[in-house]
Amino acid sequence: MATFKVTINNDSRTINADPDMPLLWVLRDLLSLTGTKYGCGVGVCGSCTIHEGDRAVRSCQVKISEAAGKSYTTIEGLSTTVAHPCQRAWIAEDVAQCGFCQPGMIMTAAALIKSNSNPSDAEIDRAMAESVCRCGTYLRMRRAIRRAANEARKL
Amino acid sequence: MKVSRRTFIQTGTSATAAALVLGFRLPGVSAVSETDVFEPNAYIRITPDNVVTLWVTRSEMGQGVRTNLPAALAEELEVDLDKVKLEQAMPGARFNGIRLRTSGSGSSSGTFMALRRAGATARAMLIAAAAEIWKVDKSSCKAEAGYVIHVPSRRKLTYGDLVAAAAKQTPPANPPLKAAQDFRLIGKQLKRSDGALIVGGRAVYGIDVRVPNLLFAVMERSPYLGGKVASFDGSRALKIPGVRHVVAVDTGIFPGVAVVADNTWSAMKGREALDVRWTRDASSDFDSNRFIEQLKTASVEDGYPLRRAGDTPKAFAAAAKKIDAVYEYPFQAHAPLETMNTTAHVRADGCDVWTPTQTPETAHRDLQKMLGLGPDAVKIHTTLLGGGFGRRLIIDYVHEAVTLSKAIGKPVQLLWTRADDMHNGFFHPPAVERLNAAFAADGRLTAWLHKSAGPDLSLLGTPTPEERKDLQRYAKDESPWGAFDNPYSFPSMQVDYVLVDSPVPTGPWRAVYYPARVFARESFIDEIAHVMKKDPLQLRIDLLQPGDVLKLGTQQVNRARMIRVLEVAREKSGWTRPMVQKKSDRLYGRGIALNIYQGDSYIAQVAEVSVAKSLRDFRVEKIYCIVDCGFVINPAGLEGQVESGITWGLSAALHGKIAFRAGRAQQSTYQDFKVMRMDEMPEIETFIVPGDVDPAGFGEHPVPPVAPAVANALFAATGKRVRRLPITPESLGS
Repeated sequence: MATFKVTINNDSRTINADPDMPLLWVLRDLLSLTGTKYGCGVGVCGSCTIHEGDRAVRSCQVKISEAAGKSYTTIEGLSTTVAHPCQRAWIAEDVAQCGFCQPGMIMTAAALIKSNSNPSDAEIDRAMAESVCRCGTYLRMRRAIRRAANEARKL
Repeated sequence: MKVSRRTFIQTGTSATAAALVLGFRLPGVSAVSETDVFEPNAYIRITPDNVVTLWVTRSEMGQGVRTNLPAALAEELEVDLDKVKLEQAMPGARFNGIRLRTSGSGSSSGTFMALRRAGATARAMLIAAAAEIWKVDKSSCKAEAGYVIHVPSRRKLTYGDLVAAAAKQTPPANPPLKAAQDFRLIGKQLKRSDGALIVGGRAVYGIDVRVPNLLFAVMERSPYLGGKVASFDGSRALKIPGVRHVVAVDTGIFPGVAVVADNTWSAMKGREALDVRWTRDASSDFDSNRFIEQLKTASVEDGYPLRRAGDTPKAFAAAAKKIDAVYEYPFQAHAPLETMNTTAHVRADGCDVWTPTQTPETAHRDLQKMLGLGPDAVKIHTTLLGGGFGRRLIIDYVHEAVTLSKAIGKPVQLLWTRADDMHNGFFHPPAVERLNAAFAADGRLTAWLHKSAGPDLSLLGTPTPEERKDLQRYAKDESPWGAFDNPYSFPSMQVDYVLVDSPVPTGPWRAVYYPARVFARESFIDEIAHVMKKDPLQLRIDLLQPGDVLKLGTQQVNRARMIRVLEVAREKSGWTRPMVQKKSDRLYGRGIALNIYQGDSYIAQVAEVSVAKSLRDFRVEKIYCIVDCGFVINPAGLEGQVESGITWGLSAALHGKIAFRAGRAQQSTYQDFKVMRMDEMPEIETFIVPGDVDPAGFGEHPVPPVAPAVANALFAATGKRVRRLPITPESLGS
């Protein structure tokens, strides 16, 4: 056990944990930020995606010891009013079905449109193909990402 | 008496309606005695502060029940859907006799009329209450957006104002229902009620439940089928910081050793430090390749007769030409994104369980027995489900968590890892389908022989030797679906089911029995069309003549509706026009398949594929889905379910397979049990054939035609017939 300082959603947090504990479990079990989901634990499904700075990372693949001193944003911190262009577009396109993978999908998409303000369908596919939705909402997601990118460019 | 598989898995609409009638409170006991609540039935509560609460009596797993069910109530109650509070129904007194189980694609259609009646009853009582207060005739009043309005004087009262007076009204026996042209919600594009919670990360699934003093657990289970804990040593695990308890848990399904800790990570580390020895049994070296070979051998044997028409042996004896084909379908996992989990708090005087389940009433019943508690002491809180797909009809994971909480006397959340989920599923059973057809010298099709071999769903227990002697067992059960309810008409026909037991636990999966049987049936129709040099779409129409209603057991298969769907498919997919050859180095082809789900919903799909001329890769470019499922309650929801079902069907057609070696499922995560990803998705276009008949189910229905439509399209493109799933470039012999 050791103590680490990490910034989550603009709050500085002091975490006392096993240095190997993935950020996923820090968020979910120690901080009760349950919007970040466990789906596979080995970095292949994307359900636990959060932002490290502006970059999308898999929180199940980041140890708390590696996260120390860095700043992270989770789905809860993306927008406190659920007003991020991706969140609005997701609702407008009625994307979610069971919804479990969607926070991770939205975090992945939000990082994409931050780095590429006008992604092509091929670029969207490349960024999102790392993530799994078992309900099959992919086509709506693609539409929502295009809509979100359009909206974000107008902001 | 054993419940039949059909009634167990399916929503029998009539059975549901009966249950709902039973669930209705009788006049006099209908309203709660206090005057500050108006509760005309189990679904609705209105309080003086104008809060309208509606109960949802199915589990939300993405199919939209928390939107569609409240819409039916709110439509008739005349309230705005975005102003109501939703509560999830809990097994117990309030819902006695009301079905809470979510299965068989019947959630929206099966509750539709009962919910409308419930809403209309409340509306009639509110109107009667206002009319009494104003001393006017009821017929001069109307309900609108949470108010009762006296039309001539424009006076109005909120529903909250009317609570006390409405509670005193006698519920009408037959409250008038709204006419379809007056619907504000039903039949309109309704967006998901939980949308904002989901995209904000605030929707609560099973794994998101947090209660005071909660501990977290994972469990080590046998590394092969049939293993039980022989002995274990938890001393190393208990030295891991945060680990509190190491407990053997045996609920009779997947026994193992649980590690309970302050957080999930510590529990996982503790699990790695466990030393467990396991027993073995005859199933412990199970091999799925060997099992498929066993099914092939069995598929020539006599089975349970499902369908008989004409003289099939004679037709084969007299045939000028015969064809045969064997189709293989592997084990499949459900692999919902949210793994199995339950949070349980067992106390001496009661227990609370928070769980993503499709069958809360089973949990309620089982736990009363397990814990020796009365019905009011067992509280089952159904959370949102991160996917269900049939896996959550089995509640082994609820039993585990409850056993564990009882053992340690504390609230605990038991989580299955992804690998636990892949290794210890109730898998979709494999099948071998053997098809034969006979033709006369003039080329006419004279006989159809289908033998379907495979395990049944073991969640109901395998039949006893005595039960096996009843040759009509499966015909009475109307299963396997897709073989039994073959909609086509042949001069002679024989369909049999050969039951072969497997030690692998099996259970329902999206579309239950249909996927394996429809893959075989619809592929073989395509093979027959090729032999007869007929257009495969037209051959299907010909085989559905004279467009009558085929009565099969409890089902009424309306062939005219199916023909209409095929005709729309022909037009909308441009079936008669050659496909555009977009790239010169690729081959293009189109295939069709259809299915009728229990006489309820009629679907045809046309798949378009392209294949590299080298046959090294192929791509599903587009799927047209043409649907007649009667009256559509929520067209937006229906389209979502089409996309979802097709994606599910493609995952199975192109990737899905669980292989067992040495008693162990070889797949552990989405890396080796692949599912569709965004970059593989075809375009999907949905056409709804408008139906004025009652609403029918839809959640599972788009799945079965996908694999045969794709296989038939690949044949059209390449001349290569694929008879084994999943279909890979290797299937094309590249």
